[in-house]
Amino acid sequence: MHYESPVRNPLILGDKSYSDITNDIAKPVESKAPRAWWIAFSIAFIMFLWGVGCILYTIGTGIGVWGLNKTVDWAWDITNFVWWVGIGHAGTLISAVLLLFRQKWRMAINRSAEAMTIFSVIQAGLFPLIHMGRIWMAYWVMPIPNQYGSLWVNFNSPLLWDVFAISTYLTVSTVFWYVGLIPDFAMIRDRAINPVQKHIYKLLSFGWGGKAKHWQRFEEVSLVLAGLATPLVLSVHTIVSFDFATSVIPGWHTTIFPPYFVAGAIFSGFAMVQTLLLIVRKIFKMEDYINIEHIEMMNIVIMVTGSIVGVAYITELFIAWYSGVEYEQYAFLNRATGPYFWAYWAMMTCNVFSPQFMWFKKLRTNLIFTFVISIVVNIGMWFERFVIIVTSIHRDYLPSSWSMFSPTFVDIGIYIGTIGFFFVLFLLYARTFPVIAQAELKTILKSSGENFKKHHDEHGAH
Amino acid sequence: MTENNKYWRGIEDQSNPELAEKLAQNEFSNEISQADFLGKDELAEGETSRRDFLKFMGFSTAAATLAACEAPIVESIPYVVKPDSLTPGVPNYYASVSYDGFDFASVLVKTREGRPIKIEPNNDAPFNGATNARVQASVLSLYDGARMQSPMVDGVAASWGDAMAAARALKTENSVLVSGSVISPALKKAISKLGLRHVSVDAVSQSARADVYENLTGRRGLPTVSLDKATTVVAVGADLLGDWGGENLMGAYAAARKPGEGMLRHIQVEAGLSLSGSNADARIKAKVSEYETVLAHIYNKVAAATGADKIAAPAVREEIASSVNNAAMELIQAGSGALLLNGLNSATAEKLAAKTNELLASEAFNTTTLEYTSTGSDSAFNALLADVKAGAVDTIITLDSNVLYFSAELAALADKVNLVSIADRADETASKAKVALPLSHYLEAWADAIPVDGVYAVGQPTISPLFDSKSAVEIVNGLAGGSESAIELIKASASTTGNAKAWNALLHDGFASTPVLVANYNVAPSVDLSDIKVGTAVEGIEFYTYTKAGMGAGSNANNPWVYELPDPISRLSWDNYLVMSAADAVALGVENYAQSNGAMNGNTVNITVNGETLENVAVWIQPGQTQGSVGLAVGFGRESVGKVGNGVGVNANALLATTATYASAEIIATEVEHGFASVQLAHTMMGRKIVNEISLPTFLHGNAAEWNETPTFETHKGPLSAFEANLWDDHDHETSHMWNMSIDLNSCTGCGACVVACSLENNVPVVGKDEVRRHRDMHWLRIDRYYSSEMTEAVAEEEGIGAIEKYAKMEVPSESPSVVFQPVMCQHCNHAPCETVCPVGATVHSREGLNHMAYNRCIGTRYCANNCPYKVRRFNWFNYKGNEKFADVNPSQDDYGRMVLNPDVTVRARGVIEKCSLCIQRIQLGKLEAKKDGRILTDGEFTTACAQACGSGAIVFGDVNNPSSEVSHLKQEARAYHLLEEVGTQPSIFYQTKVRNRA
Repeated sequence: MHYESPVRNPLILGDKSYSDITNDIAKPVESKAPRAWWIAFSIAFIMFLWGVGCILYTIGTGIGVWGLNKTVDWAWDITNFVWWVGIGHAGTLISAVLLLFRQKWRMAINRSAEAMTIFSVIQAGLFPLIHMGRIWMAYWVMPIPNQYGSLWVNFNSPLLWDVFAISTYLTVSTVFWYVGLIPDFAMIRDRAINPVQKHIYKLLSFGWGGKAKHWQRFEEVSLVLAGLATPLVLSVHTIVSFDFATSVIPGWHTTIFPPYFVAGAIFSGFAMVQTLLLIVRKIFKMEDYINIEHIEMMNIVIMVTGSIVGVAYITELFIAWYSGVEYEQYAFLNRATGPYFWAYWAMMTCNVFSPQFMWFKKLRTNLIFTFVISIVVNIGMWFERFVIIVTSIHRDYLPSSWSMFSPTFVDIGIYIGTIGFFFVLFLLYARTFPVIAQAELKTILKSSGENFKKHHDEHGAH
Repeated sequence: MTENNKYWRGIEDQSNPELAEKLAQNEFSNEISQADFLGKDELAEGETSRRDFLKFMGFSTAAATLAACEAPIVESIPYVVKPDSLTPGVPNYYASVSYDGFDFASVLVKTREGRPIKIEPNNDAPFNGATNARVQASVLSLYDGARMQSPMVDGVAASWGDAMAAARALKTENSVLVSGSVISPALKKAISKLGLRHVSVDAVSQSARADVYENLTGRRGLPTVSLDKATTVVAVGADLLGDWGGENLMGAYAAARKPGEGMLRHIQVEAGLSLSGSNADARIKAKVSEYETVLAHIYNKVAAATGADKIAAPAVREEIASSVNNAAMELIQAGSGALLLNGLNSATAEKLAAKTNELLASEAFNTTTLEYTSTGSDSAFNALLADVKAGAVDTIITLDSNVLYFSAELAALADKVNLVSIADRADETASKAKVALPLSHYLEAWADAIPVDGVYAVGQPTISPLFDSKSAVEIVNGLAGGSESAIELIKASASTTGNAKAWNALLHDGFASTPVLVANYNVAPSVDLSDIKVGTAVEGIEFYTYTKAGMGAGSNANNPWVYELPDPISRLSWDNYLVMSAADAVALGVENYAQSNGAMNGNTVNITVNGETLENVAVWIQPGQTQGSVGLAVGFGRESVGKVGNGVGVNANALLATTATYASAEIIATEVEHGFASVQLAHTMMGRKIVNEISLPTFLHGNAAEWNETPTFETHKGPLSAFEANLWDDHDHETSHMWNMSIDLNSCTGCGACVVACSLENNVPVVGKDEVRRHRDMHWLRIDRYYSSEMTEAVAEEEGIGAIEKYAKMEVPSESPSVVFQPVMCQHCNHAPCETVCPVGATVHSREGLNHMAYNRCIGTRYCANNCPYKVRRFNWFNYKGNEKFADVNPSQDDYGRMVLNPDVTVRARGVIEKCSLCIQRIQLGKLEAKKDGRILTDGEFTTACAQACGSGAIVFGDVNNPSSEVSHLKQEARAYHLLEEVGTQPSIFYQTKVRNRA
């Protein structure tokens, strides 16, 4: 007896055939770039160049060109670092964790989500490098055998753990992403007419032949890598949070940070995926693949993680009061009522209140509203990191050293530059890579069954 | 038989003689294929292959390239004949004296390879053996490229012969020599030989006070005080820790205020918050123009108690009358332990103070032994002004006196006379002179001094003059027609002062005792009050001038250290400003406000005094300032002093006549905004135990476990202290040394000498106003200053005020605050938060209790600075020794200034963190010296720069593993506590609780 779940809607709409999928997904790669792409790319590239200029100015002149001072020794640099790392999280979560949980809906979005992960981790990785006073000595954070005798890195330092966490994360994500891309590159290779293009995709697809053995290895590697990547979803931001949690600064020294940071990362990552995909599906006309159900699913994730983050904020306040430590109490009071109260309340509004709208189905299936909220959430998450970093250290133990922070044009320029760099990479990706994992997607296309049913409905059973 | 003996050269010779012979003939067994390689026609047949050629070629290219990589060799010329006294790397110390017309100090000059690099106190000296911030900084003034490099005639460089001839030609009978106070017998002799009318005038005048004692004793000087004999001191406008007289009272004050029975009680009556007022037990806010009435009131109370005649005087302002009464009662109770000091340049005020002390038979007030560092005469100067106006003066010769800067009246008349200026630079006076004669810095010159009765001191040069300059005594003697060298003049002078020391011993010690050559000098005179007239207070706003701890009278006005040193009270550097009470500021509508980057801005005003107006003067709202009284520091607003000091602040002397102390002023707020360089944004302790302060009764009778409570943590083992509740493995603190430092907050007066000493010792970069404004000062040692607030935990609890409001109100300092100072440097935590977070291990712990910083290993993540609870780590934001922005201020960018750098300490590169090392270079030197001698280090053999410079002995450094060391005793004191002990950092620095002598 055939039973079909009535609640599961098809994940691919528009009555697609296998060749339709191939055509749709290969189209952006094979066709000429639309004017909108060029405009977007130009803007992103200019932002990128501006950022490069600011970075070179910093390296040439000194960190003093930023707005930091003797009390606030980290501000936008590390805020941006944590923000970009956080954004990266959604990609891994979608591709690895959801793969393990067999969430088929991820297939339409995992490619772009992962691309976003890699590109944002690249941005993130920039900051710990350029925030160093002597970037030319940056390789000293690597445990490289050297001629200085027993001189070694300090394995106690969370900053060193960061180095390992971020580099592992970037490596695993890139490999995972690339493995997924191989059959799709092969698809483009097979269709390419231009010999140069054909040759490039030939190299990229590693001689993929679509044999059963290839598919078997592909599946196995994907599963193994998913297994490897899953702990990274938790570990990377946990370790990033250790930068703060292991310190002695009130407002940083908080044991709740690891889960709170991971939830926040997923929260901001999904918001970023949302922002990007809402644009991609529109421009590349992929509404059938990235449909309202995907959007809704992601909105639910945003709502849940946003609420977790909200609970974490309130827990922090409670613990500060409950601890009885005057420094701790003042740190949190100062966050909410001190000179940076606006940052705190911007964070609260964006991260805790705004996702609560997603309880309403009407709102979470509204594209415009979703887009707005996705941007708001990322603004809020930026402020969260700013609040944690700057408002904690600007007034710590000794009032004599209290200070304030204000960014210079270089701080702002570098941040804008990384956004530009991110979009340069993403736009290049969107034009040259298959933005949806079409090979995987085809496994959930129910064309034969659906066609049969449709035929049956139209013509009756005879 | 002997012929048959056979000796072998070695075992090889015996066993295989042929081989040995062959080897001996062919000592260099590998023949060099040089001949084959070069010069043969048949290259193809040679043994050298093309491969070899390429190998040699490659090797030589690589070698040449590598050789080119070597650091360039800067010309350094070794001694052909090394002077006996000089070993490269080993410092020499010379005793000398420093006197600039304002500060007198007996000093030890540390020289390295012939360069003076540090001034240390001459602790054996009987008078002013301590150094203050200005004397510490003065060594950099030696290496000031803005100094005059040769004599100038009409603005053109000339030889000494020509310049002296030109100066002599200008000298007529109607010429006048203008100088500051002269304390040098040799110079006095030369001046009298010159035979000109001599007018002595001080930039910061004490003339009226000196007049009183001149009339009484026949000697023009100021009284000295013995604080050890005092039990209660009431200082009216007398900043005894600052510019009151020339006597350095820091050490005596700290000693007299040692907590315990008989601790000196100090009441300060003053207009603006001074160092003395900050340290006082009670402070009464009175306008400068009220000082006389306050003194008269105290005198009348004392007179009533002792049966002397009262004098007529206006009533004291109602608000302060009872406090003044109480002060008078305390003086009466103290009897012969009473001491009333006057700081106002007024004969009336001084007589009242002196008479009060006389009535109470004060043992601390000494009018027999006078000090002579401020003996200028205002009346003589006023007479000179009148004569110049009348055209009766042809030529004014200024001797180390920038009189056209501090006297606007004379500056206005400067065209009427010919100027000959003996000065160290083309300053506001010398730049207008027809003949300018360059004066040597005190470190280049011979000098002598009688700063106080009974003490003779000599100063010796520690370096040849850097420029074509001469000492004051030599120039004046030359002008008088003499041809003796400076050393001859000083030697001659030394032989006439009756001191018992041989010349070499005198030079070695720097001082000698000398008889006072005045009859009956030791009989205390009696003050006559018969014609006394007490002035009335200024209605409305009065204006007065004051001196800052860094700038003083302004003789180091091109010295970046004195600008970079934040004012101890306002914590502002690189500026002078009108200090104003909050009430006056509100009335005028001026404010101080923080910018988004933490920099302070403020409004400016136009201030008019006696028709003279200074425009756009910044206003600093100063807690503790008396309402209706505004002050402005002197020494700033220079036009012609050098690239560091030109244009910094405004010239306060423009408003007041040279001889006036205060005047009524009119103030109008302007639209112009002013940017301050403030290093401290929050001014209160926010209810935290940072400076632990208690009252004397609590100290005497209270339980130390209560007033100096050790923070504890609740654990499963019961409450444990931060030292016991410990997550970490401890370092070994028993073996070897364990360096600790005790900082007595009761002794620390906040003067800033340690800050400058630290900067000099450790080559701390100067970053200039703009960077200080951005809170990027580089000081390794800072002196935090906290005001009390009206809001405390107790008040909040009593009135049921919530946390938000409580903390908001705690941020606001009281209008009449109690002030505390706290020197903070790296605390050398034994569980250092910085050490764990550095990714590359650039900051590590030593087994001697120190926290090391390896600059070479630092990559500049600044994580350590963030994680430092004391915020003492400093980051090199820029390349301070190369970046153009710092070219004008940082000595390490100046060819001369660079010579002051301590060769034992690295100048740090851009992008690394730096911080206090507890003068590791001194520790290492001390340990090595002891090791060389094969002995155990003794306590006090060496100390840190800050401890050495501290005139009040607040900082004690030593090895706590040495049970007899001073610091190990201090660690056991009931007052000892660690800053932020509850964080569990286990610092090697500890503080001693401050005790105020009040209920």
